[in-house]
Amino acid sequence: MASVAGGSAAETPPAAPAGPERALRVPSRRQLLERVISLREGSIIVVTIVTAIYFSANTSSFFTGANFETLLPYFAPFAILAAGEVFVMILGEIDLSIGAMYLFAPILFYKLNTSIGLGLVPGVIVTLLLCMCVGALNGFFVAVVGINSFVATLAMLFTFEGLALIISKGTPVATPGGQPPLGTFGKVFGGGTYSEIIWAGAIVVILQVVLTFTRWGLYTVAIGSNKLGAAEAGVQVKLVMIRNFMLCSLTAALVGIFEAVRSATVQPDPAGANEILFLAVAAGVIGGTLLTGGSGTVAGALIGALFLGILKDGLILQGVNANYLLFYTGLAVIVAMSANVYVGRARRGHSGSG
Amino acid sequence: MVDPAGPKGAVPAAEAPDVVAPASAPDDVLRVEHIAKRFGPVTALRDVNLHLKKGEVLGLLGDNGAGKSTLIKIISGFQKQDSGNMLLHGQPYAPKSVDDARAKGIDTVYQDLALIDELSVFHNLFLRRERVFKPLPLLNNRQMKREARTALDEIGINIPQIGVAVARLSGGQRQAIAVARTVNSDAGIILLDEPLAAMGAKEGAQILDLVARLKAEGNVSIIMILHNYVHVLQACDRVSMIQDGVIALDKPTAETSVQELTEIVVNEYRRARLESQA
Repeated sequence: MASVAGGSAAETPPAAPAGPERALRVPSRRQLLERVISLREGSIIVVTIVTAIYFSANTSSFFTGANFETLLPYFAPFAILAAGEVFVMILGEIDLSIGAMYLFAPILFYKLNTSIGLGLVPGVIVTLLLCMCVGALNGFFVAVVGINSFVATLAMLFTFEGLALIISKGTPVATPGGQPPLGTFGKVFGGGTYSEIIWAGAIVVILQVVLTFTRWGLYTVAIGSNKLGAAEAGVQVKLVMIRNFMLCSLTAALVGIFEAVRSATVQPDPAGANEILFLAVAAGVIGGTLLTGGSGTVAGALIGALFLGILKDGLILQGVNANYLLFYTGLAVIVAMSANVYVGRARRGHSGSG
Repeated sequence: MVDPAGPKGAVPAAEAPDVVAPASAPDDVLRVEHIAKRFGPVTALRDVNLHLKKGEVLGLLGDNGAGKSTLIKIISGFQKQDSGNMLLHGQPYAPKSVDDARAKGIDTVYQDLALIDELSVFHNLFLRRERVFKPLPLLNNRQMKREARTALDEIGINIPQIGVAVARLSGGQRQAIAVARTVNSDAGIILLDEPLAAMGAKEGAQILDLVARLKAEGNVSIIMILHNYVHVLQACDRVSMIQDGVIALDKPTAETSVQELTEIVVNEYRRARLESQA
């Protein structure tokens, strides 16, 4: 966890050299604490660790390898979804249509495979490309037409969830390539135990690098911070916005396919998709990305998703009545966000790097 | 302040003969001819003619809403005029975008500074001119920091930490960064929209010093919107005043005075009041 956070920090992380030099460079415990807190992801790292310690102490089975495997599907898909969503949230916009892309992509994939006879991998590629077109449409409505992103993507959410129901006729089908025994395709695209977490790790690392170390990321932050100013400086605002919406749709479609392969069935269930949408947005926000735009972190979104996963898993292990799960999740999010706000204020108070 | 069809009457611009424009063609780096711009029912610019000589500092005056910023935005490629044309070094100049204008050597400091609060000082300085590790698209932050430091030192602006977000800087420092960004761009023509707004006297003096130094070097020509007549007379070679969407006065600063500039404005104010009463 610490290494993920270190990778996203602005300054170079201390490389832990050996010998007397090390003694000079190791900061005091207080400085170390300040440095962790001064990270954008700092507060959620602390909150996540505290939560994990709490469950480890209170349940015998939390800190076990077997439980780690149960934990994975509770957070890996959300980490991928949130990574894309963060790019839209930094713009100061929101993409609600990821719920629809999550639902629509596997159904489209199924249709392409069964009706047109497209192969598994070509089917996935065409599905992803078509979903990116939907993302481009989102971006067009928001950046060019000028519709508020909440409204535009809500409309797209309804439209494409509706379309998913129409195409699937509301009946679940068996996912192509997701039936046992799993082939290479199934193992890579969500079916393998560690498939999704590996994808999540790779996507988070790549998108964090894009966000911090490329022009694309710089312009994303610039638009979210000062749209007019970015335009006056010559940033192609509409282009960057459309591109980010496309990225967001891409990650959502990818997760939709992974989950369909993992569960072996394509479920046309809009309610479940909507819950996943909100958890993904929550993971981004908990991880330290502002809904108002101008600031955000992909690595934080991963930790936010991990926090939500640990919470759900831990509560289940503790034997909490299933009816209480949502209630506790809500409370925990409020507590974590309050901590975030206070730690954030402390961060702006003294830290030098932004 | 927008008067409905003043006594002068709008000149239908475009192909009108060139006699209206001031005649001093050879050493003009920029000429603006019969520019007009409307925003819906509001006429911002009626018929503006302007010229800028090489190495010259031109002060642009005018009441709030007179159209100064609109003119600047047209020259900088951010907006398009409805009619009229521009010449850059004698060649037709019609910027397609801010980037296009910048590529042709015209750079601008906008009134709102166009700074990105969340980004660091050096990222702001290099926005749209980022240094990367070619051929990789990764930002070369170290090089940008180094070059930013040199550039700021060169123009004599002291910003202790260039890694901090510009949100943390004072109004004057922000203005200085916005000006530095433009100066740093190797532009031949610099447009400054109220560079002394939001500045203390001392910081303002620094910016005027910088302008004076650039003028002494003689490589750039500057158009600067100002409000303070004393500053105009001190810093500029020539002054143009926009009134009612046309240039009402165009004189070398040596031939005018605070009194004359004030009188023009007061007369304009009287006229507008009489009209509104009639």
